[in-house]
Amino acid sequence: MLVVWRRAGQSVMIGEDTEIEVLDARANRVKLGIKAPVSIAIVRKEALLTRNENLTAAWSMDEVSIKSLLSRLPR
Amino acid sequence: MARVQTKFFGSLEYSPSSVFLFPGGLPGFEEQREFVFLNLPERDPLIFMQSLSTRNLCFVLLPIFVVDPQYGLDFTPEELIELNLPLDRPPAIGKDILCAAMIGSAEGATPTANLMAPVIVNLKERIGAQVIHGDSGYSHRHPLLFEEPALTC
Repeated sequence: MLVVWRRAGQSVMIGEDTEIEVLDARANRVKLGIKAPVSIAIVRKEALLTRNENLTAAWSMDEVSIKSLLSRLPR
Repeated sequence: MARVQTKFFGSLEYSPSSVFLFPGGLPGFEEQREFVFLNLPERDPLIFMQSLSTRNLCFVLLPIFVVDPQYGLDFTPEELIELNLPLDRPPAIGKDILCAAMIGSAEGATPTANLMAPVIVNLKERIGAQVIHGDSGYSHRHPLLFEEPALTC
């Protein structure tokens, strides 16, 4: 992983067209501004992880996995 | 009474007052707004979250305390507003809200619960949302092992 120190007001460029600017930096969070081509999807990582988990949850649970899960649960 | 075609239980009757509205849908399922929650005695403690519009969409959930008896979650004011919950006190799980974890079971793997993003339902107003807390320290793939506690002599 590339690690760079930045202050509020400073940016990093990813390729020619994508800029990530630190707008504000506080003790436990930073505010980022992102300029990127409209073709690039920008989403909070936890939202993407949850989307992927939801998709898996929707197709993966069938009668077999439900029975298996029930047998594992403390009764 | 209306009827809903369900993924696992055939055609079931439901009362319109048992429909829960998810105004924003769920991540990956933004168009799905209405669900009924099925809690069948023979499948207890599983909760089945059946879409009203798509027969083949039924999420399997577990009450959060079944997965983690110590579970705790701090809501932001925006989340409380989204769920029509009072702002002056934290909602009580089981009384004000249902808090349940979505279960997934990727092929051949231990089933997992998404504790990072529980499904929250305001039981009084019948409004729900999946609340995503990336900084909660909880995993989006918490393995459901339920191992017997080790016996101590």
